[in-house]
Amino acid sequence: MISNLLTMNGYGIFVWSSFAITFLICGIIYYKTRKTLKKYEKKFAKEIQELSTRQQKTVLEKSKVASRILSSYNKTI
Amino acid sequence: MINFFSNSNIFTWIEKLINFVNSIFFVLLLVALSFALIFSPPDYLQGDSVRIMYVHVPAAWISLASFTCIAVFSILNFIFKIKNLKLITRSIAPIGLMFTCIAIITGSIWGRPTWGTFWAWDARITSMVVMALFYFIFIVIHKFFQEDDKANKISSIVAIIGLINIPIIKYSVDWWSTLHQPASIKITGTSTIHSSMLVPLLLMFFVLILYCALIFLMKYKTEIIRIKSKNLKRYD
Repeated sequence: MISNLLTMNGYGIFVWSSFAITFLICGIIYYKTRKTLKKYEKKFAKEIQELSTRQQKTVLEKSKVASRILSSYNKTI
Repeated sequence: MINFFSNSNIFTWIEKLINFVNSIFFVLLLVALSFALIFSPPDYLQGDSVRIMYVHVPAAWISLASFTCIAVFSILNFIFKIKNLKLITRSIAPIGLMFTCIAIITGSIWGRPTWGTFWAWDARITSMVVMALFYFIFIVIHKFFQEDDKANKISSIVAIIGLINIPIIKYSVDWWSTLHQPASIKITGTSTIHSSMLVPLLLMFFVLILYCALIFLMKYKTEIIRIKSKNLKRYD
């Protein structure tokens, strides 16, 4: 059963390599996209923290995005 | 209504959607892979190599659909100047390029046992390579030009020109005598695929669409943060 699944009547190498390449590419793109997102989140959170207290307050009041990112960043550190 | 489409609202929805897709993705992937690799029968002509179709065909569908979306949104952006459309096209392009490459690679692997060669300059394959080039140029333009407006304008023109290639890809198998077989699944007309193969194909398509949605949402979220970060510099 397992041997049949692996060899697939001689087509195993083609079938498994197709699936492996697809999921490898998908995995790499997922990892890279997630890494970029986290990098930008971290950078943005740091930029907010570098603002003066008054500026920070204004930004957080005006921007829902800023407050959400800052709170999630504070949770991770 | 305008408030609903604000970046803040979209951002909240994106976070919820990412969590939702993450929660169901792996279960669906397992089900789809079980059907594609174990439960579906081998083809009477192609044997087990038909299983390659369960990644090749959805990848090709997604690549075509993505480019059509990019081109249509580019046209709409030219007419209505909607900011979000630019972000959407920028987020879709890498996904489209990735699936075009997957379709070409898996198609090539399938070609070896079926046609006896990895590559042929067949009309369908060549037009897919042309589409990959259009995707590549679209992405490079955004990386190359610093000015967002200029990049958007040039990339939109590229996408609109590339739209001509979509019907060529779709009908190449009917217009020319090619190695690539005609479509087995037709929206209008009778499909020539058995349900035992249609189910895994549609399941894999659904899983890959979910994956695309996940990547798209993460990229869109990144774009929103990038814009917010630019806006933040006004406070300095």
